[in-house]
Amino acid sequence: MPLFVTLIYETARPEPTDPGFADFMGGYAAFGELAGPAIVDGAPLLGPDTATTVQVRGGKDGDLVLTDGPFAETKEWLGGFYVLQADDLDAAIALARHIPAAWRDGGKVEIRPAWEM
Amino acid sequence: MEGGRVVATLFRMTGDLDVAEDAFADAAIVAFERWPVDGIPERPGAWLTTVARRKALDHLRREARRQTLEQQASEALMATDPDPLPYHTVRDDQLRLIFTCCHPALVRDAQVALALRVLCGLTTTEIARAFLTSDTTMGQRIARAKHKIKANRIGIGRVPRDAELSARLPGVLAVVHLVFTTGHHAPVGSELQRVDLADEGVRLARLLTDLMPDEAECLGLLALVESVHARRSTRLDAGGEAVLLRDADRSQWDHDAIAEASALLERALRLGRVGPYQVQAAISCLHSLAATADATDWVQIAELYGVLDGFGANPFVRVNRAVAVGEADGPDAGLEVLATAEGTDGWHFAHTVRADLLARSGRADEAAAALRAALACAPNDVDRRLLEARLAGLTGVPDAQGVHDHRR
Repeated sequence: MPLFVTLIYETARPEPTDPGFADFMGGYAAFGELAGPAIVDGAPLLGPDTATTVQVRGGKDGDLVLTDGPFAETKEWLGGFYVLQADDLDAAIALARHIPAAWRDGGKVEIRPAWEM
Repeated sequence: MEGGRVVATLFRMTGDLDVAEDAFADAAIVAFERWPVDGIPERPGAWLTTVARRKALDHLRREARRQTLEQQASEALMATDPDPLPYHTVRDDQLRLIFTCCHPALVRDAQVALALRVLCGLTTTEIARAFLTSDTTMGQRIARAKHKIKANRIGIGRVPRDAELSARLPGVLAVVHLVFTTGHHAPVGSELQRVDLADEGVRLARLLTDLMPDEAECLGLLALVESVHARRSTRLDAGGEAVLLRDADRSQWDHDAIAEASALLERALRLGRVGPYQVQAAISCLHSLAATADATDWVQIAELYGVLDGFGANPFVRVNRAVAVGEADGPDAGLEVLATAEGTDGWHFAHTVRADLLARSGRADEAAAALRAALACAPNDVDRRLLEARLAGLTGVPDAQGVHDHRR
């Protein structure tokens, strides 16, 4: 079955000590139950303040340039991803619309078909 | 639209619009060679589908180095599909293709270009000319859309259920309407209308009603475009200048098409699910059915624009409503409605309407300023000449006004 990768963009994420944290995690647990075996893989990511962007300038053995922060500074940041099994884009959208970031706090979910190699 | 039917079936089998189009083109070449010799087959569509299927199968076999399960599945599908295909399969194939071309994951420009390319069979050059872009740009736009469809397997899963079709239908109707309006009133360029594009819009609307005869808004859209299209021959005078609706020679209109549009609208209204296309069709039919411009039922048209306004705030509707209210209740009432139309500063028609209403209200200086604002919006050349003529005439003939046959 074809694979679609859903990239989860968040705007706000509560700390484990925040009162909203259980609710936040509950949303993802509910999605996990809903999508069930359609979820092939996935991972939550630590925040963009932990990101490092790597670039090698001047070819393969050139200068290593590290940037402190994510590749693109935007209001939304990549918070995690799922790899989903789905027949087609419509089926992938039908699942992805239930990912909490899609309907909560101005977040967004980007869908990309996985490259079958 | 025979080509569209064949491409639709080939698309279901291969999931690749390029393969589907190429296979159909190959089959058409075979038909071109054989039909003059063997005679036209009893069912040309089935004949073309069979030949195109064989061509697509050849193509898949040539690509056998990537013999995936998926390809084996399409081969099996092509080998076992009955011949000729049952009606419901052809219907499903066509719906699948239409809803794929108009998929909301594609930008609207790409949806329109794909509909013209894949459903209507226009060449990339023809589409590029219609939208005044280069062949290269249009070719890239279409290629990108096809690639996105293939990569995301859009339209490959099951045919959408009826409920899903209904939810996605407004987007499909919008594409067909846009094809028609682009032909009916060219946004830019030297011509006012492109009848070929408008024809395609009418054909697509008819195809949709054939495929979904119980969808009231499909019938409404067809009634709308037929009714507007029926007036096409009086849009320009012998010298190629724009003619206002109120000045049109109504004997030149296609009265059979107007009668058909009215009958379609009645059929739609009997289904009891009124929507914006049915209301627009009702307005257009009232214009088309009025024996003279003065006999136009402006009161009812103004009411219908009120209903249309209720379906969602839309500045274009509001401006047209101002025209109708101006006719029904006088220019000052029209100006009041027009003042509530937001975001129309860049649209020449809104300024033209303001000029008309101001002139009728005896405010010639303000009317002239509004006409200059309309000219500054750079409409097409025919519109521009009409506006210039009215600006020149404004000082001499303060009540020179009329309704432009321009419906969005």
